[in-house]
Amino acid sequence: MNQGYAHPEKLVSTQWVAEHLTDPKVRIVESNEDILLYNRGHIPGAVHIDWIADLNDPLARDYLNRTQFEQLMSKHGISNDSLVVFYGDRSNWWACYALWVFELFGHTNSAVMDGGRLKWEQESRPMTREVPSHESTTYRAPERDEKQIRAFRDDVLQHVKSGLPLVDVRSPGEYTGKLYHMEGYPQEGAMRAGHIKGAVNVPWSKAANLSNGTFKPADELRSLYEDEQGLKPTDNVIAYCRIGERSSHTWFVLKYLLGYEQVRNYDGSWTEWGNLVGVPIER
Amino acid sequence: MDRQQQIDFILDHYENPRHYGAIDNATMVQKGGNPGCGDVVAFYLKLSQDGRIEDISFEGEGCTISQAGASIVTEMFLGKTLQDVELTPAEVILDTLGREIAATRLKCAVLGINTVKEAARVARRNRAE
Repeated sequence: MNQGYAHPEKLVSTQWVAEHLTDPKVRIVESNEDILLYNRGHIPGAVHIDWIADLNDPLARDYLNRTQFEQLMSKHGISNDSLVVFYGDRSNWWACYALWVFELFGHTNSAVMDGGRLKWEQESRPMTREVPSHESTTYRAPERDEKQIRAFRDDVLQHVKSGLPLVDVRSPGEYTGKLYHMEGYPQEGAMRAGHIKGAVNVPWSKAANLSNGTFKPADELRSLYEDEQGLKPTDNVIAYCRIGERSSHTWFVLKYLLGYEQVRNYDGSWTEWGNLVGVPIER
Repeated sequence: MDRQQQIDFILDHYENPRHYGAIDNATMVQKGGNPGCGDVVAFYLKLSQDGRIEDISFEGEGCTISQAGASIVTEMFLGKTLQDVELTPAEVILDTLGREIAATRLKCAVLGINTVKEAARVARRNRAE
């Protein structure tokens, strides 16, 4: 797909996926907010990866480790050279999140299906409840490399001190401190409301066409981030939300659709920053 | 039930919701929701003079867990007293849905049961006045 995107290969169309359902080099992965959507029906051959059960450590607030990632890949028949195509609900929030986690383990041969589950359904494309059984693989992953795409709180603090750009992708109500948590997600609240000092507010949803879940074309995205907020592709940017899922969407937009070379996702996000003692907050 | 049976059970409630639709002569209507994630429910209760749920139904939209949970709650509380409802811990819905599946979607799982429990609290207050 190319709507002026910097890395058009990172986005595939529903038609492309329909033409590659049985391509052995392609593994289609569904990742959703709604835990049982996959069970109600999914793209034939697609496997399910749940952001909590599969990608998060069950105890610590962190991601799975290298061994667990290797086992997950092997179980789903994903090889080191597989092209993994992600899709899901909510305009691909969780698809982008899963793609980002895969990238922590160096699996960059990946793409997102533009429009996600919503567009596939709107086009009345085939769905099945049959869970595929792919032959397991021997996947070898490196240790997680977080320097390039993941930001921790100390990185963010340094970023603030250096006056580097931060993008808060939450809703204006959360950004301005009127809400202590995203509406409907009280368990993901914080002791303080507002935003990280110096952050600009570009809600993730402005980058998406919510009627069909697709990404907006590059010229509209540039206008959004560059004309309106003054960002530049050479900037060192950190994006955040409340737990890092919405900001994964923005991370994908900035890194792959607009070609920003230095963009990291702060997955600790507001649930960490809004509970930290003594960090700079603005409203 | 194993995990697949539990999933089938939940999806059956989601796709074939029990007691779905408004009750015209309901004694009360109680709404609840997690609007941020799109889960909304409205329960209709028809109460007897002595505080028993003679009829219960719901309408709603949202994720599979929230809507299946609401459907299950209508079966759980039909014929029960308001006191029964108030004394029922919300956690019982987790056992019915399956803790392994519901544990990571708690807010969705308890939406239905907490909405009916709120209805019971409201009804008891109204009766006391």
